[in-house]
Amino acid sequence: MAFPSHSIQVIVNKTIEVSSLKTVQLRRIYSMRQLRWADNSAIVVYVLPSQHLIHKKFSKDVLHIFPYQLDRIWNKLTFSGLGVAPLLVKTQADLLHAVSITPGAIGYVDNYTDNIDKEIDVHVIQITK
Amino acid sequence: MFMLFKLPNNLNRKLGRAGYNTLLIRSLFVVMSSFLLMGNNVSAAESANNKLQVHGFIAQGIIDVNGSNFVNDDGDLSFELTEIGINASYQISSDIRFATQAVYLNGGNRYSEGVRIDYALIDWSVYHTENWQANLYIGRIKNYHWLYSSTRDVPHTRPSIILPQSVYFDGTRDMSVGGDGIALATRYYDDGIGELDFNISSTESSISDEQTRNIMGQSSTGSLTHDSDLQASIYWRPNYSPWRFGLALTDADFSYRKGQSDMFLDGGLALKRFYANADYQGESWTFSIELLQENMFIEGLLGPSFNRDATGQGGFVQSQYQLTAELQLLARYEHYYANKDDKHGADLEKMTNGMIPKYFGYQNDATFGLSYHLSNNLQVQMEHHWIKGTARLTPVVIPDPVVNKNEYWQLSTVQLMYWF
Repeated sequence: MAFPSHSIQVIVNKTIEVSSLKTVQLRRIYSMRQLRWADNSAIVVYVLPSQHLIHKKFSKDVLHIFPYQLDRIWNKLTFSGLGVAPLLVKTQADLLHAVSITPGAIGYVDNYTDNIDKEIDVHVIQITK
Repeated sequence: MFMLFKLPNNLNRKLGRAGYNTLLIRSLFVVMSSFLLMGNNVSAAESANNKLQVHGFIAQGIIDVNGSNFVNDDGDLSFELTEIGINASYQISSDIRFATQAVYLNGGNRYSEGVRIDYALIDWSVYHTENWQANLYIGRIKNYHWLYSSTRDVPHTRPSIILPQSVYFDGTRDMSVGGDGIALATRYYDDGIGELDFNISSTESSISDEQTRNIMGQSSTGSLTHDSDLQASIYWRPNYSPWRFGLALTDADFSYRKGQSDMFLDGGLALKRFYANADYQGESWTFSIELLQENMFIEGLLGPSFNRDATGQGGFVQSQYQLTAELQLLARYEHYYANKDDKHGADLEKMTNGMIPKYFGYQNDATFGLSYHLSNNLQVQMEHHWIKGTARLTPVVIPDPVVNKNEYWQLSTVQLMYWF
């Protein structure tokens, strides 16, 4: 049986005036190697738990990196003082909410258009090669 | 200048036994209450105020060593395998962050037991563009240069409970783990080259009395001081490549001041280490190799005009295989000899009239292990080591063939770890 189809979308807080990002840029953002947007404001990175199906899909299909590789990068930052890891939220609804209220935030959800909530306003950005 | 950043290394010495116990209990309490209050959803605290992040870990294991004093002298099953830590990171302004971690460690003979400040630093983002990121770290910092050096005490970040002793020698842990000083970390990216990291640091570490005796020998009563240290490393990951390559070097000087009725004289020790490593991360397989060459120059100590210049070489090859979503297997082989001109220790035995057997000249280790993910943040790890030789046992300067009388010895260990 095939997995139900997922369409992972990268979302940002509406203060971000960026309509597209290259895969390599997104990868830099998620490996915490790029911490600022072009206007010099801080990027606040949100993630779902490593075991979450949507996180796995995002990691492998969008970032082209295995979830355990991200865990290793984040663990090294967190437990050596070198930096900080992304902020972890438990569910997609929490993630959507967090990105919508946090200036500079970035995250990802599955089929954003399918679960439109009028209260939540975020920008979907295009990911290009 | 680094005196400015000096922090008490061994809090238990400063606080006395009672103070140290209170501190230990307090840190345990903080870890446990965070766990109970927040469960797995520690991020609740983080989202409320994303400037502050709090994380930690707690691990307890059982270790059994047959045939050496690696963990204890009596060879009994030991619970001296405890690692607890709690850390906080606070973003003070857009360019300045403060981060600190306190740990409690107990590894038996491997290093001194107690609570310590693992790091306490100011992270200043000095330069950042889309391609460049440069950070200056000031305070008590970690060794950010080798594959596992910055998190060697953090159980869930290690490939094995006992790291390969050729590179991660527990006998010199205090001076390789980090220290008080300054580090510059630069990260560069471009589409053609990929990711390039360059790190340079200079630190001084305090060497505990126990670690001094581990290095010198039990009859040493003096003190070993870390005078200067320069470390640098460069890492390169080609764009989209599963491989990463690294080179590192360490140049450190130590001086020894003899104590009362000490069998050693004043002297100095210069240690230069060169490293090369490669790391492959595939979907089910990982492959790592880290090679070391170390030059140790000893002056004085054993006689007024004594000096010894030896170059040791070693390293390991390691592979991890993800068998199921929960179960990961580990296989590793490591090889080390203390003197590249005396790989089998024959000269060592001859020079000491047989007092020090030849097997103190080398140490090889074949390791097999597994880790099992019980849940998101809970894991059990176990491993067995088959070891030939005793070159990476303590004491280092004058080995102890009475306790370490076996060329072949083994080690088995299991550790349960939780982190948040």
